[in-house]
Amino acid sequence: MADDPIKAVAGAAGHGASGAGAVGRDAARQGYQKSLDPAVLDRLSGLSLVARTVVEGMMAGQHRSPHKGSSIEFAQHRPYVPGDELKHVDWKIFARSNRLVVKEFVEETNFTCRILLDASESMGFGTLRWSKLDYARWAAAALAHLVIRQRDAAGLVTFDSAVREAMPPTNGTHQLAAVLNALENTRATGNAGVGSVLASLVPQLKSRGIVAVFSDFFDDLDTIVSAIRQLRHSGHDPILFQILDPQELDFEFESLLRLDGLEGAGRQKVDPKAIRVAYKEEIAKHNEALRLQAQRMNADLVTITTDTPLDVALSTYLAHRSARARSSG
Amino acid sequence: MGLFQGFLNPALAAGALLAVVPLLIHLLNRQRHKPMEWAAMRFVEAAFRRTRRRSQFENLILLLLRMGAVALLAFAVARPFLGEESLLAPLTESRRDVVLVIDRSASTGYRESVSSVFERLLERARERLNELDGSRGDRVTLITADRAPSTLSSHGPEDAIAALSTLTSPSDHALDLAAALAEVVGLAERDAAGTQSSVLEVVVLTDLQRRTFTAPRGETAEAKLETPALLRALDRLEELGVRVRIEDLGAGALTPANLGLIGIETSDRLLGAGLESEVVVTVANHGPKVVTDARVVLEIDGQRLPTRPVEVPARGTASVQFPFTPRRTGEHVLEASLAGDRLTFDDTVALVVDVPAPVRVLLVDGAPSERLDKAETGYLGAVLEAPLDDSLGRTKYQPFDVRTLTVAGYTANEVDLNEVDVLVLANLVSLPPSSVERIEERVAAGGSVVFTVGDAIANARGLETFTTRFFAEDGTGLLPARPRRVFEVPERRDRFHRAATFDAEHPALEFFADERWVSYLTEVPVYGFLAVEPLADARVLAALDDAARSPLLIERPYDRGLTYLWTTSIDGDWTNLPELPASFVPLVHEWFRHAGRPAPRASTVALGRALSTEFARFPREAVLVLPSGDRRRIDAPPRDLGDGRWRLDLVDTTDQKGVWRLEQQAAPTQAFVVEADHSEGDLDRMEAAEIEAFHPALQLASFEPGTDVIEQDDASRGELWRWLAALALGALIAETLWSAWIGRKRSVVR
Repeated sequence: MADDPIKAVAGAAGHGASGAGAVGRDAARQGYQKSLDPAVLDRLSGLSLVARTVVEGMMAGQHRSPHKGSSIEFAQHRPYVPGDELKHVDWKIFARSNRLVVKEFVEETNFTCRILLDASESMGFGTLRWSKLDYARWAAAALAHLVIRQRDAAGLVTFDSAVREAMPPTNGTHQLAAVLNALENTRATGNAGVGSVLASLVPQLKSRGIVAVFSDFFDDLDTIVSAIRQLRHSGHDPILFQILDPQELDFEFESLLRLDGLEGAGRQKVDPKAIRVAYKEEIAKHNEALRLQAQRMNADLVTITTDTPLDVALSTYLAHRSARARSSG
Repeated sequence: MGLFQGFLNPALAAGALLAVVPLLIHLLNRQRHKPMEWAAMRFVEAAFRRTRRRSQFENLILLLLRMGAVALLAFAVARPFLGEESLLAPLTESRRDVVLVIDRSASTGYRESVSSVFERLLERARERLNELDGSRGDRVTLITADRAPSTLSSHGPEDAIAALSTLTSPSDHALDLAAALAEVVGLAERDAAGTQSSVLEVVVLTDLQRRTFTAPRGETAEAKLETPALLRALDRLEELGVRVRIEDLGAGALTPANLGLIGIETSDRLLGAGLESEVVVTVANHGPKVVTDARVVLEIDGQRLPTRPVEVPARGTASVQFPFTPRRTGEHVLEASLAGDRLTFDDTVALVVDVPAPVRVLLVDGAPSERLDKAETGYLGAVLEAPLDDSLGRTKYQPFDVRTLTVAGYTANEVDLNEVDVLVLANLVSLPPSSVERIEERVAAGGSVVFTVGDAIANARGLETFTTRFFAEDGTGLLPARPRRVFEVPERRDRFHRAATFDAEHPALEFFADERWVSYLTEVPVYGFLAVEPLADARVLAALDDAARSPLLIERPYDRGLTYLWTTSIDGDWTNLPELPASFVPLVHEWFRHAGRPAPRASTVALGRALSTEFARFPREAVLVLPSGDRRRIDAPPRDLGDGRWRLDLVDTTDQKGVWRLEQQAAPTQAFVVEADHSEGDLDRMEAAEIEAFHPALQLASFEPGTDVIEQDDASRGELWRWLAALALGALIAETLWSAWIGRKRSVVR
């Protein structure tokens, strides 16, 4: 993959998604060509996205669900307890031994991935030729494409201080086109509210699965941590993609600056050299706290700077995740 | 009083204002923040809150160090000084700032013993300079003073000692102490730097000649009321708190014995070669005792005459005569000298005399005759002939070289007018135009033409022809006046005219200015004359007593020559003048001698003035030989004056008294006498009490060589420039280290 994700996207012309509808296909084709890099997809397609925990699935596939229910592969018997569905009672055993037992099955499940994209104004920042939002959109598109190509379901939620657009997770090329189209039309506006939006979304997520959040996470840390905790308690597998501009980490400016804060954060004249060390300490402290909290809740935090090749960032993470899943069982 | 008394270089102290430059740069930079949108403002604000105070403090220290370095550097180069009462006095260096004035006037050449006064002055100056310490920052301004002050050195004592070694002998000028002290005033004012207080040490090494302190006042009434320049300079120095120490290294006596030659002249006017004359040399005795055996030597053109003794009274003068009979015409150099005197400067005088050649006169007779009394120029030619007097005849003296021609002879023989000094056209009405043109050219080149009138123009036609041929209204004609009409008295017994007035200051007629001879000109009867109207630039030398005061003799310059009109006859037709030898001979001789001789070359120049001369041909390979024997090639291009004449500037300022000679290729040597002020030889000296009383700014320091070292003035002051320079350097180093530390601290990634 080229170093410049913009170039990578431009190089994707001609590699359209198959199965899109006529009008929707055209629209999806445009978004597809702008958002996806075929080279990225080539490399990601060789990897398996394996869920570390059990998620519910509607489609058979490679994902083995930890939930026992109706399926074709018998797992075990257990004693009946009030509330079990009567259709799962093994009447043959009841007839032989007069014991009420129910049958449990290991089910092949479908994988559900919800992509949550922070489109607040701060995501519009960038010192390169692309912004953090641009980079997040490319990553989200790549992830959606990968999921849907594996016949899993992918959904998309864009938000700032509130949910701006929500697409429930389904599979199929139409869904991919719709997701890409929605990504393409997303603009950076409004104030950020990552924690509050995640918290508000948790009750609405009916099926458990992966929740990939693309944001800079420049928000109140407690609110973010609280929301992630709720996700975990609801059985979701949150993956936090923290997208940052390299200068937001390095602050390698020389001349005096008048910084105009996005999202109405005020204005400040600074000597970059004078505050560089303190600034880097502050942002490192924030990121470290976020990392610790995520680690404590067994959630993945992936910090990517926008000068990092997108395929490298995603494939590295996915390979790491795959290896971890194999080792755990 | 503040920390500083003043600055040696006050203008440079203003450089301290440059200390605001770092502040301005800082303020300007604050205005130049580059705007940028930023997302992670919460971290920026947190970092800014954490670092603001420390950053401001670091920047303030950096700014103060930069401003301090600039200000300290400016103060250091301005070299501040302070008095003993200053709080910073213990840090200062006791630097001395000395102005040493050395009298280099001619009088210091006086030699009383083995060494001259000037040599003692130099020796004393070396002693004073050796007292100074250049490494301590002592500074000395070395000034030599004579006609004008000259600053030889203005840095450390080592430079001054080196400059002192270039002085070998006194000059030929008198000392202008006022000019020297005016120079010192300028130094003191700069030293005071607006504080009205200077601590310059001013020392004047001199022979204390009285005339130095008693310069004559100006001639005008206003000038006489004006305070002399010397007192004005001393007043100003007193205002500045400067005392002038006078060190007297003159002769032991208050009135040293000294003889000087103060004049040389010829006893009579030199009229020509062969005439006996005398050279009179005047000797002055400036000492208190009569000198009985003064011996004077005269050299004429390098030929030494026998020494002549002379007795010269105390504080008086005496003359000694030498016989002088020039054997040839032209320039002669007379140089007199005095033997065995202690001051050689005034022991020589010189004079360049020009012995005139006979004036070449050509008489063109308009009414020739065989008889002397009938010819128009008969009498005139006779009085111009060489005298038959025995005494004059022995000398073969011939004042005029006379030729007489008729008009026909003149026009036929094509006379070379370059061989004629004075051309007389007597009672002549006309000449061919070509002849007139040649005469005009000759007169324009420096010759003279004399018109006399007579019966040839008595008729109207003759007068008209005469006027037409020789007069032009625009002055291009030879006649100096427009002829009007002829007047003749009807009866000579009853009536005649006389010269009523004449120009007694004109060289041609000054002979008659003497009361004994005036009547010889004013009583000459004139019976007929030509009434004329002189041109504007003509000069009426004599006028008749008629009602119109008609001119009798008129002179007019014609380019470089002269034209004359004698408005009556030169024979006996209209006047009795030719029959009156006591009138006729002196009139004609003086007149023609003046008309036939160009103005003598200026051969005497005052010392200090420029020297230049004119040539009738382009000067080549000109070399100027100085009285000292040095030869200077003249490289300046000559200026073209027109008509083949050239002016050559030899030297802008003559600096040696004596005879200067200009040698050039294929031309006679020209001599110039440069005269100095003879009164410089009067060595009368001021007494100590007189000096103290002369002005309070003066302080006499009695001095014996090698024994007395004058102590430094208590009111010394010190300088801080080394400390300031060190502090400036320290500030720069601190700024560098501080800046590096800040940069490193801010770039450390934790």
